[in-house]
Amino acid sequence: MTDKDKREPRAFVIEDDKVVETRTQSARKSRAAADIAFETAEPAGDLVVVPPSHSQTAARRAPWLTILLGALATLITMWAGLSVTSLIEDFFARAPWLGWAALAVASLAGFAAIAIVVREVWGLLRLRKIEDLQDKAARAINLDENSAAQAAVNGLTQLYAGRHDLALPMKELARHSADIMDPADRVRLAERILLPPLDEEAHRIIARRARRVTLLTTVTPAAALDILFVAAQNAAMLRELATLYGGKPSTLATLKLGRMVITHLAVTGGLALSDNLIQHVVGRGLLGRLSARFGEGAVNGILTCRIGLAAQDVCRPVPSREGNRETLAGLLRELVSFGKDKGDDTAQS
Amino acid sequence: MNVTDVFDAGRLAVGGLSDFATGMFSPTVRLGVTGLSRAGKTVFITALVHALLKGARLPLFEAQARGRIGRVYLEPQPDDELPRFAYEDHLATLTGEPRRWPEGTRRISQLRLTIEYEPNGLIARNTHGGRLHLDIVDYPGEWLLDLPLLSQSYQQWSATTVAASRKAPRAAHAHDWHALLQAMDPEAAADELLALKSADLFTRYLARCRQDDVSLSSLPPGRFLMPGDLAGSPLLSFAPLDIAPDHAPRAGSLAGLMARRYDSYVAHVVKPFFFGHFARLDRQIVLVDLLSALNAGAAAVNDLKGTLAEVMSCFRLGSNSVLTGLFGKRIEKVLFAATKADLLHHASHDQLENILRQVVSEAAARAEYRGAVHDVAALAAIRATREATVTQRGEELACIAGRPAAGETIGSTAFDGTQEAAIFPGDLPADARAALDGSLEGKLKFVRFTPPDLKDGTFPHIRLDRCVEFLIGDRFA
Repeated sequence: MTDKDKREPRAFVIEDDKVVETRTQSARKSRAAADIAFETAEPAGDLVVVPPSHSQTAARRAPWLTILLGALATLITMWAGLSVTSLIEDFFARAPWLGWAALAVASLAGFAAIAIVVREVWGLLRLRKIEDLQDKAARAINLDENSAAQAAVNGLTQLYAGRHDLALPMKELARHSADIMDPADRVRLAERILLPPLDEEAHRIIARRARRVTLLTTVTPAAALDILFVAAQNAAMLRELATLYGGKPSTLATLKLGRMVITHLAVTGGLALSDNLIQHVVGRGLLGRLSARFGEGAVNGILTCRIGLAAQDVCRPVPSREGNRETLAGLLRELVSFGKDKGDDTAQS
Repeated sequence: MNVTDVFDAGRLAVGGLSDFATGMFSPTVRLGVTGLSRAGKTVFITALVHALLKGARLPLFEAQARGRIGRVYLEPQPDDELPRFAYEDHLATLTGEPRRWPEGTRRISQLRLTIEYEPNGLIARNTHGGRLHLDIVDYPGEWLLDLPLLSQSYQQWSATTVAASRKAPRAAHAHDWHALLQAMDPEAAADELLALKSADLFTRYLARCRQDDVSLSSLPPGRFLMPGDLAGSPLLSFAPLDIAPDHAPRAGSLAGLMARRYDSYVAHVVKPFFFGHFARLDRQIVLVDLLSALNAGAAAVNDLKGTLAEVMSCFRLGSNSVLTGLFGKRIEKVLFAATKADLLHHASHDQLENILRQVVSEAAARAEYRGAVHDVAALAAIRATREATVTQRGEELACIAGRPAAGETIGSTAFDGTQEAAIFPGDLPADARAALDGSLEGKLKFVRFTPPDLKDGTFPHIRLDRCVEFLIGDRFA
């Protein structure tokens, strides 16, 4: 924009997709003074809130603990390396073939360790990417930012590029890529095309896990056991949801995800007053009268639903609008329909 | 409140009651397509009807994108007093050989489109079974200029019109009429021939002010420019006189005659037009041809702004309640659209929308105050261009490419309507106020293009889907 005054209106006549400038003051023959690149043609408005990530909510602390843990971990690794080396040397001293075998086993172990580390880092990076995507999408929707919208839509298409279950929606989305529309509309459109199949699947996952938790709690003889069951089922649900929305839930990523879900639950918990009421009525009231265990089971099931909804909020790459968000009431309807586990009833909207 | 006010309120209430009764079982949306002349009303209506009829690609129109729209068809003309909108003729003009834009509208016409859809709600499913009538009225944009006359007396109108005509850029085109104006004595005895001559010169002055290079908007009375079926009627044989706003004309004088004719014009032409078509709208889209005004310069943009503010003050905006539903509805949603957005690169659409916001700021503020929902959009109901980037001496220019219409010029290049060209129309200012203060003179030139080919049987468009969703999307509940 330095020589803005020079950018006056002008015309370029197109002959065989070559540009010939015609704004010639003199009687000179028009000459090819410019290149033209056609924009690739088609290949043939409410606010949202991003779930708070852990890094945003945790208070900044001095990094001494991290340094201590890091130093200790390094020390242990060095010790392990040293002892493995001396062990292999011992084997070589006894018999060379034994030494070679030990070396091979040790290399295999080292290779597996590296693979695990790569997988963990990959999982964490993917998690960060989804967080970033949520942020971009929210910026695009709330502030109508063009660059954020482009980044969000590109991120979404990258995230779901190889997914066979989304091949058709992806094709549909590609048809609109050359359309001129507002940034917020572009993200909303991508969301409306890509995410509904995933949302439906998420609904099924949460409902299935919640039913299972209810059933397990009801039939488990010992109280300590059902805590274990609930925890395991919830962790499994978390991984399923994360995988569904394009995450790579390795161990560390799942732990981080779990922390984010708990943070999100704590933040939104105050709003869920009516949900608590349901919990009281169902747990201590009606069902509790029928059977104390079944009442507890129902409460655990509802808890699982709530965790599932929070996890969905955290994993979904585009924050959902208040209006079409999955609700607890919608899930509870499924919770009481036992025995129809396979019947994916499409009563949900 | 005088007698006419009571009478007008009665008209509104009777219309409102009948709308309420029919609306229960056959819901109707009256879409007001508002726009001054050449804003693109006819093209918008044709494109909208065509897109809905053919099920065009409207990704942001949710009901259609989700496949909830069933059959869409044109209903036989419901109103026997009004001619039908010549949809087929306009479509033939747009797609025929050679492709042309429809001619300016000369008379009022109406169209009813019926949309069958899959309702979400239980009540909707059981009362009307998911059918929505969309009533659209097309009319010459010039007639819209008459609406502000409803609240002015002849003397007031005369004084403001004469005062405005003495300022630049109007004064340069008003010489002949001003000469006659000097010679006329308002208090002299009424003279029919003088009145006719004055009306004739006044009409020529208005017509001159409307041409492309001046491109002014505020040119009432509208029937002078587009008489419709009133051509030659005595209703049109008056003109402003050089009198004070509180002048009391003597009976039998020239001023008295003019005032009487002005009053009949308002009573017999403006009021029926307003109450027949504008007083019962549900939704409104205000099409603004900002680009022609920008072509002509800041004076035209400011004039457009003033005209829109005056015209929009005549509409009943606001949120509806049960009572207003019974006694005359208000317009709940207004969309201000800068038309012909395909004449510039989409990267400039944000700036265009910002300028539009400046131009309609008064009307938008009124809408907000009354509780009506409003929005602005850069719209091309039919997109005649594609986008291209031209690199010239290391500088990238965001251009639009297409076939410029015959007779268009840019710099020293004239187009004959067959050549294809990429046009760089200039940069829109980052600060929208620059469009109103005159610092842009000569830096912008928007060129008209010939209509595009149909693609998959439908017209390409820019944001038509967004407009449809905003205007009627919520009626497909």
